Amino acid sequence: MTDTVKLVVDGVAVDAPKTYTLLQACELAGAEIPRFCYHERLSIAGNCRMCLVDWVGAPKPIASCAQTVGDMAPKKDGTPHEISTKSPRAIKARNGVMEFLLINHPLDCPICDQGGECDLQDQAMGYGRAASRYGENKRAVDDKYMGPLVKTIMTRCIQCTRCVRFAAEVAGVDEIGLANRGEDAEITTYLEKSLTSELSGNVIDLCPVGALTSKPYAFNARPWELRKTESIDVMDALGSAIRVDARGPTVMRILPRVNEEINEEWISDKTRFVWDGLGRQRLDKPYVRENGALKAATWDAALKRAAEMLKVSGDAIGVIAGDLADAESMKAAKDLAGSLGVKSIDCRQDGAKLGMAADGSKLPRESYLFNSTIMGIDEADAIVLIGVNPRKEAAVLNARLRKAWLRMVPIALLGERVDLTFDYNYLGTGPDSLKDLKAGHPVFDALTNAKRPLIIVGQGALTRSDGAAVLHAVSAMAAAAGAFKGGWNGFSVLHTAASRVAGLDMGFLPSAGGKDVAGIIAGAQSGDITTVLLLGADEIDTSKLGRANVIYIGSHGDNGAHRADVILPGAAYTEKSGTYVNTEGRVQRAQRAVAPKGDAREDWAIIRALSAYVGNTLPYDTLAQLRAKLGADHNSFLGLDFAPGTHGGSVAPPYGTAGSLQSAAFTTPIKAFHLTNPIARASRTMAECAELAAGVSPAVAAE
Amino acid sequence: MLKSIFTWWNGATIGARFDIGRRARAVGQDDQGNKYYEERKPSLEGRKRRYVIYNGYAEPTKVPPDWHGWLHHTFDKPPTESPLPRKSWELAHKPNMTGTLDAYRPKGSLAEGGERAKSSGDYEAWKP
Repeated sequence: MTDTVKLVVDGVAVDAPKTYTLLQACELAGAEIPRFCYHERLSIAGNCRMCLVDWVGAPKPIASCAQTVGDMAPKKDGTPHEISTKSPRAIKARNGVMEFLLINHPLDCPICDQGGECDLQDQAMGYGRAASRYGENKRAVDDKYMGPLVKTIMTRCIQCTRCVRFAAEVAGVDEIGLANRGEDAEITTYLEKSLTSELSGNVIDLCPVGALTSKPYAFNARPWELRKTESIDVMDALGSAIRVDARGPTVMRILPRVNEEINEEWISDKTRFVWDGLGRQRLDKPYVRENGALKAATWDAALKRAAEMLKVSGDAIGVIAGDLADAESMKAAKDLAGSLGVKSIDCRQDGAKLGMAADGSKLPRESYLFNSTIMGIDEADAIVLIGVNPRKEAAVLNARLRKAWLRMVPIALLGERVDLTFDYNYLGTGPDSLKDLKAGHPVFDALTNAKRPLIIVGQGALTRSDGAAVLHAVSAMAAAAGAFKGGWNGFSVLHTAASRVAGLDMGFLPSAGGKDVAGIIAGAQSGDITTVLLLGADEIDTSKLGRANVIYIGSHGDNGAHRADVILPGAAYTEKSGTYVNTEGRVQRAQRAVAPKGDAREDWAIIRALSAYVGNTLPYDTLAQLRAKLGADHNSFLGLDFAPGTHGGSVAPPYGTAGSLQSAAFTTPIKAFHLTNPIARASRTMAECAELAAGVSPAVAAE
Repeated sequence: MLKSIFTWWNGATIGARFDIGRRARAVGQDDQGNKYYEERKPSLEGRKRRYVIYNGYAEPTKVPPDWHGWLHHTFDKPPTESPLPRKSWELAHKPNMTGTLDAYRPKGSLAEGGERAKSSGDYEAWKP
């Protein structure tokens, strides 16, 4: 028995694996099969009938998506089956299917947002008739309410059920379904509720026609007038692959790109719909505070004022990097701080006890990376989540976990009891339950017996004051459970901020005698710290910065800008070429899609200019020089798009510092999924989603 | 006269003039010199058809609103008998000027000097 089946597709002989569908086998042979309902990442429905091919000898054309190659009985004479995808019978069958589909499909392409990127439009060019033979009235279907993100025009629906399968299988919310039969069949949300999934926007990409389109993007642009830039998302620490579509100077929409190793082809709603925040609350000119009020100023005046503030003792300066900072700007800020003798620098604005031990020694890289890699979740055979709510902290990763759950992988959760869209074994709320996780505990034994045990620890467990002790306890538990073995490192830290790993990698951490974020804030309160440089840091309590002079470098007017004494306007992630390191330690580069707004400049260039005003000019004039320095100083930045996994290093656990654990429960650091960063907080779409998620019914305009 | 023999777009053709003269009576004339007629007896539509013979080039937008209303049977009586109330802010009627030098051109048009409103920007700036 071989694992492959020989087929002849359009005269081309192929060896197709038995698990392949006939459609995949035909594609292997280079044939192009039209399809609507078939999707690689969803179950097979076989209801659109567009993929009909001619199996020579079979009485009827067959739907190639629903025919497994392994099920095709071998021919008696041993010759391979012949498939024709271009025979007159196959073409005629597809023409007939297309004619049926178009019977009830409205002719509203000119006003349809899918126009230009519509599967039905494209395939009708190949298989459609020139004119309709149907004289009767077309069927009309009521539009359904699917929330503030997904716009429905259900008359256009061809009942491919991709959205239904996505919601049920990937998103894990049974909120879309196909009701009724025959001509009355319609896709519905049952209760006219908005979708509760964080991945709901993906149904827009899945819909092969214009039935589900993007509500914020409606009637804004046409696909052919958009400039497409392939980039990296910064809304969470996954670094999902995205495509930024811009028209002129405006980002019009954000779409996912395929990256099997991170996001497959899904992105979260925050990633997809945050773009309207890129055009609101923008810092477009420098500001200087005079007599208590911020006044617009020239770059020269603002930089001079900032340089004056920095001309104090290095001990009286604190530097905090925010969640969206790129590695280049953090490197520039670190070098500037180093040249000024500043010890209090920190990239962990949430206070996570990562990257350095309590005594100030640097921890190995694998103590704060997602070592199993995101792809590794697909191999894991026992999973324990500690102090993490992946649905909120990394929605796309949660879809991977759900995929593991569908493979019957046992998943256990220790922390906040939340709906993860899949069932899990609940272990308890906090450190006390962590102590119970030792030999004899069924979950621990499952980890021990597993070939690829995976322990994911989240920021909810590490941002506490006893975070270092929790890190120690969890890594010790992981080591005891056998998570470290040849070719597998099952100890994984899930970050929430796109900038965090880059900051930890380059050691954007307090040096000996320096203060961390909490220390800087306390120092500003007490007067020890007189100047605070915020590199896009908005999630700290800026009201507690006391009388310190605050320099804010960032793109949006948020908490940091309100408190700032000098604002130096920077670029958002779509406006600069920046390096980000995702939670796996994968170095990725975001590309510039549009120019920074107004007088704003790229962040690293601002710091470079500031360094000249301070009098300690940094040794790089171009981004390339800065990157060369970054790579030379920190080797991990040299390789692009590579998740170190087990190759990252081999310093044995436990990491962190042993200590007593408090009994308080682990809570997720993300209170409102849609409002985690300044860009999202500036977005109206995100505000609407956040209101819905919080249970406030939004004001709906009368229609 | 020559024009009404050889063209149909100046006033009315001879045939139309003859037909209107045979079965309609003159009702009045507007400021532009267009002449209006009404049938003596209802024909075809069951009501008295109303006609206009343009003064010069046959251009329907030359008909002022009051006569337009009468022509379309919106008003029973012609403006000569019951003129429409006029407000002080009403401008004088002007025919369609498209295709002429007096055609409307927006301010940004090059023929009007090409002064365009300053672009308001594609983003909302933060205000302290």
